[in-house]
Parts: sequence; structure tokens; C-alpha cells
Amino acid sequence: MIHLRGLTVSYGTTMALRPTDLTLYEGVTGLFGPNGSGKSTLLRVLAGLLAPSRGSALLGDTPIRSSDESIRRRMGYVSHSSGLYGRLTVGENLTLFGRLYGVASARVDEVLELLDLNDRRNTPVGHLSAGLKRRAAVARAVLHEPDVLLLDEPYANLDDDASARVSDAVKAWRAPGRAAIIATHGAKRVKTFADASLIVQRGRVISYRRRTGTGYEVAR
Amino acid sequence: MTARQTAESGFLSKTALLIRKDLKVEARGRDTLPPMLAFCLTVTLLLAFSLPGNTAMRGAVSIPGGTVALADVIAGFLWITVLFAGLIGFARTFEVERDEGALDALLLVPLDRSGLYAAKAVSNLVYIVTVQVLLVPVFALFFSLGLGAGWFVLALVIALVDIGFVAVGTLFASLAAQTRSRELILPILALPVLVPIFIAAVELTSDLFAGGGLETVAARGWFGVLIVFDVVFATVGALAFEFAID
Repeated sequence: MIHLRGLTVSYGTTMALRPTDLTLYEGVTGLFGPNGSGKSTLLRVLAGLLAPSRGSALLGDTPIRSSDESIRRRMGYVSHSSGLYGRLTVGENLTLFGRLYGVASARVDEVLELLDLNDRRNTPVGHLSAGLKRRAAVARAVLHEPDVLLLDEPYANLDDDASARVSDAVKAWRAPGRAAIIATHGAKRVKTFADASLIVQRGRVISYRRRTGTGYEVAR
Repeated sequence: MTARQTAESGFLSKTALLIRKDLKVEARGRDTLPPMLAFCLTVTLLLAFSLPGNTAMRGAVSIPGGTVALADVIAGFLWITVLFAGLIGFARTFEVERDEGALDALLLVPLDRSGLYAAKAVSNLVYIVTVQVLLVPVFALFFSLGLGAGWFVLALVIALVDIGFVAVGTLFASLAAQTRSRELILPILALPVLVPIFIAAVELTSDLFAGGGLETVAARGWFGVLIVFDVVFATVGALAFEFAID
């Protein structure tokens, strides 16, 4: 579904992602690796927010570029920040993004319910705890039901209940033809429902395995 | 279209949504307008004390190099104040997105980048017009400006200057937003480009302050400079914004 063709990202002389050829399949992929291994860089490239230094990333046959409106529409992305407006309430933020994506207001209610944010609907995002901001950020990312969901540390600052809510939101979003890549240090949380695992280290993909009936098989 | 979707808004509706969002955030946070206004009022007060009292607009003011008409001095004061107040405001153009990292989310919405540019430019236009609506009467009071019918011409000059000013300011604010020292970078980038528009502004306004009517003011060709500048930079801004913000 997502093809990386010689994908390379450098920041000056530092190589954040070494040349990578890989096909990521639909379903949920857990992206694992130590700090500075290139997880966030890979997600930003896949979101179209960072242009590769060399090579390309393709969604199907279409190069992923931020200038392509049809590609942007298919992406849901959460970075380390909430990606919301601190002075607007949770409800106002979701309504704003919903209208920008052409989402019915009923979907905003649904997503608020899904992430257990109903009682925070009228709270400004800036007043939320770090954990609640993460949930609101995930709510924003799944709101328009994107084909590709890219979550960078969605479980950061979340307790077990809140983590379960985020996982439930991803499971509810999951459907044939969709791919999620979830970068996290909390491998246990993702592995329970992930279809594949991708491990990067020092900018190099060292493993991509897909779940089978009995375990994982190497996918590359 | 699924049951969860609604008819997607068009370019103008989405742009209007983003303008409303910016103004709502400003109404709640009051992060941009108060510093602009505080700067304007402080500078105006200081300037009022620096000029000799009871001098007619056509009268001369002594400066180290000779003399200059008071109308020229006050026109210069007015536009320098607007210029720097505007730069204070424009430097904050993307702060509202920077706060919680909303710029990434905004860059992914299905709206042409020119829509983002237009939304930011209109928000900046609202701020600068608000400042001028308060600043010009204060100038009129402190410097005894009596323009009569010239107020309408002044409004026209302000409108033409503001369009070019926000077109340039918003574009360079998007470039500066990617840097650490954005408050410093913005003036360095924008000031050289803004020089022609503010020369035109001062020339037109000093003619007005000296008692010239629309015919006198228009005869010198500065309106043409402003119109060309506005068209060129609004077009360049809308086209180049994508490269600046990405």
C-alpha cells in the first residue's frame, strides 16, 4: 500500500533515514526503535510534511507530496504536539477540522465519545493535561477517517485506561484498504492488535514482520 | 459521500473558517493587537512632544540638514509607526499554530495553500486596520490634522498601502516562522521590499496633510505605484506561500 523507493533523509551531514526500499501493507504497523532512530522522520515523510533528500514514498502509485491535496486528504497525522489550537475548546477544534475536511457534525460527537472526551468538549485544549491532549490529538487525526493514520507516540503520558481508548479508536478506524503506522516505545500496547512490526535503528530498517496465525513472518 | 461526511466546503468557505478561527483565538488571547496598539500610542505620544507646537502644516520644521515641511514630517511619523506596529503583529502570524503544533495539522487539510495565505493575510489586514482606526484619530488629535474631504482620500491611501503591506508581511512571516529568530528575521526580509510602498504612502499622505485634494495627490503617480505593488505582491504571495511554508 505504501512503497518506499530508495527513501533517504539527511539533515545536513546527519543521515536520519538511510536508503530504504520497503512496501508497507494495510493494517496496523507498530513502529519501534530507540530515540533518534528515525521513527518521527519516517512518519513526517509519509505524511508529506518532510520531503525526502533522495528517493520517494508512494501511496499506491501516487508520490506522497504535501503539495498534492488529494494525498493530504487521505492522511491523518499526530506529531509529538497535539496539533490543535490551545485557546479553542476541544469541540471547537474538532468542529473546525471537521468542517475543513467536510465531516458531518455527528462524526465529531462520535469521535468525542470514542475517545471519552465528551465531558471535555467545552474545555480549551490549552487547559487539558498532557494525556488528554494526546487523546484530543488522536480524535482530530481519525475524525475524517483517513486511509493512512500516522501516530507518533500516541500513548505518551497516558494511563492504561486512556491508552485503551486510543487503541479502541485505532481499532474502530481500521478497515480494509487502510494503513496505520504507530511509533511508540510502549510495544506491548500496540502488539496486542498490530498486524505488523517495523523496527528502525540508526536510520535503518532492520526488521519488518507481519503477523501470521502463529506469530510473525519476515516481510522483506 | 458517506453518512459521516457532509458536502465539503469550498475554497472561500474554508478560508473564511480559518479567518474566523484566527480572530476568535485573538479575541480570547489578545496576544497580537494589544502590543501593536501599545507601541502605536507610545510612539505617537513621544512624537507629539518632539515637534514644535502651533506650526502650520505648510510651515517648515528645522532639522540638522535644513528645513522640511511639517506635513512631510507627520506623514513620515504616521507611516513609520504603522510599519513597525505591523511588523510586531505580522511576526505573530503563525504563533497561534506554533503554540500546540497546529501548523502540521493545518498543512494537511485539503485546502490549497493560497487559501491558507489568504486567511492569514486577511487576519493580518484586520489587525492593521484596527490599529489604524485607532491610530489616525489619535494622530489627528495630537497633530491637529484637519483634512476635510481629504479623509476619504486618506482612507483610500491606507487601503492601498495595507493590501501591499499585509501581502508582503504575511509571505515573509511564513518564511520567518520556520526560523528560531523569527522576530528578527521578519524585518530583515520584509523591510527592503516594503520601502517602495512606504515611500509612496508618505508622499501621498504628506500631499494630503499639506492640503492637496484627490486631483493633486493623484497627479504625482504614486497611486499607480501602490496599485502595481499590491497586484504584484498579492499574486507573488499567493503563489510563493506554498514554498515558504513547506
